[in-house]
Amino acid sequence: MHPILARGTRLALYLAVWTIIGLLLAALLAGPGGLAASQALAIALPIALAYAFFCLSAWYVARSTPIGPTGPVRLAATALTSSMISSAVWLAVARGWLEVFTRGSDLASGRVFLAVRPLIFGFGVLLYLLSLAISYVVAAFELSRQAERRGLEAQVHAREAELRSLRAQIDPHFLFNSLHSISALTTADPPAARRMCVLLGDFFRDSLALGSEDRITLGRELQLAERFLEIEQVRFGERLRVSVEVPVDGRVLLPPLLLQPLVENAVTHGVAHVLDGGLIAISSSVTDATLRIVVENPCDLDRPRRTGTGVGLSNVRARLRAVYGDDARVTSKEADGIWRVELTLPAERSQVAGRQEMRSTNAELPS
Amino acid sequence: MTTDSLRVVVVDDEPLARAVVREYVAAHPGVEVVAECANGFEAVKAVSELSPDLMFLDVQMPKLSGFEVLELVGRSVPVIFTTAYDQYALNAFEVHAIDYLLKPFSAERFAEALARARERLAAREGMPVEALVDGIRTKQAPLERVLIRDGSKVHVLPIEKIDYVEAQDDYVAFHSDGKSYLKDQTLAAVERLLDPARFVRIHRSYLLNIERIARVELYAKDSRVAILRDGAKLPVSRAGYARLAKLL
Repeated sequence: MHPILARGTRLALYLAVWTIIGLLLAALLAGPGGLAASQALAIALPIALAYAFFCLSAWYVARSTPIGPTGPVRLAATALTSSMISSAVWLAVARGWLEVFTRGSDLASGRVFLAVRPLIFGFGVLLYLLSLAISYVVAAFELSRQAERRGLEAQVHAREAELRSLRAQIDPHFLFNSLHSISALTTADPPAARRMCVLLGDFFRDSLALGSEDRITLGRELQLAERFLEIEQVRFGERLRVSVEVPVDGRVLLPPLLLQPLVENAVTHGVAHVLDGGLIAISSSVTDATLRIVVENPCDLDRPRRTGTGVGLSNVRARLRAVYGDDARVTSKEADGIWRVELTLPAERSQVAGRQEMRSTNAELPS
Repeated sequence: MTTDSLRVVVVDDEPLARAVVREYVAAHPGVEVVAECANGFEAVKAVSELSPDLMFLDVQMPKLSGFEVLELVGRSVPVIFTTAYDQYALNAFEVHAIDYLLKPFSAERFAEALARARERLAAREGMPVEALVDGIRTKQAPLERVLIRDGSKVHVLPIEKIDYVEAQDDYVAFHSDGKSYLKDQTLAAVERLLDPARFVRIHRSYLLNIERIARVELYAKDSRVAILRDGAKLPVSRAGYARLAKLL
């Protein structure tokens, strides 16, 4: 849409400017031409306003030959030709209007018009060039504003994504329920209460630390998931059992917090809904090219499965897509009461032989 | 003494959460935990066998949620909800729960809830729980499953397994896989709860799952019969046929 036609107030202002130009033109006809003022006005104003609409085309000319990519010679040539053509057409229109206006009356105005024709032509060329110049300025202004807005939008999106991932990492109800368990343990089993406090502290510290990293070792991701499950085992007791089968390859890397939401889903959408609970099985295999992680859990068949099964899975899917595009996959399916989620992603390995891994295994030693 | 004592049932799928209530109750003489239930089925059984004075009820539990337990128990058992989720507070208020304890809660807060329960019991306020639960349900999305209480047993019937629903005097019978289950409800109430795009009232006494229809035949002038995939035949009234035609 043309920026001037886009809003009524702009168009009104634009036409006001052109009315002034029309008055100048009338003065030209009345002064050197010697026409009566009323007659000069009646001729000049309509043709000025007609040219006002004609000059709107300068915007499209400016758009089709932007200053950057177009060479200066072509730019000048385009500007000159377009303005001369416009002015010539305008002259023809003005002439036609004059014919209509003076039909049957005196020929004086015709003579006057002939006399000032070169002047009007020059006037038209100048006005069109001016419109072109203004169009270039407006286009540049819009471009910079657009860039600014896009920058702001990108910032907002990045911020939203950050918040979303933070929210996805820590379900507050996990914290509330864990605190309630601690509250029960404080009298029943004080050492267990203390252990639970330490576990919770470690879990939150780790998940915050991991979230800010770009890639972490599979070992660290697994450790976080195991901590989470350990805390949930305090809550669910014997209803929650865990098995982990992951090869020891300290150099395998992956984006952080991919396994964690799957394990969380396995508890909250799986085991928590089965009367006798069940086994959450985490397994993984690595080849040269791909890393595969599988999480399996029992689910309640009577419970209508909600589309998507939770925010966690779609979050994981979106993050994998953002990092690996089509090279990574998340699949989930249910068979015989077992819900199975499988992540497949390109296997990445750290160049230095598993330094992070050594650190995390060291941390485990003293306990 | 026993006649004055408050008999409570504690329902929570987490042993530690039950332990908190048990411990808090121990501080209040005259309150006695008569049963601890790890899920909704046990809760329904405990209520029908023990008729307790008060129930502490978790919301998120396997198979049956706290609200579904309340719907099944139907009778006026005063309830105090205990949950980590605050988003059910409004629902709890609408089913006239005595209180709503957010985990983790303190002994003082618990005592407050218990005092409120004693007041309520002393005033012997009748609580038309069933009607209220129905009232909430109609405002929500269509039902996904039907719960039928059979003595102390509970049948969970997913909507897609229901063939048709039949009115029988004061009851309705849900027919599924050749079996039928009776529930103390009216056909009009069932119709309100079920997805209108799936179940159509084909007759004063029949509500049919449209996926089960094999064909509709003209039986006599102005009267038709719907033949289901399993061969069962159901009468279709004139108004019912109009409703059916609009859906198909």
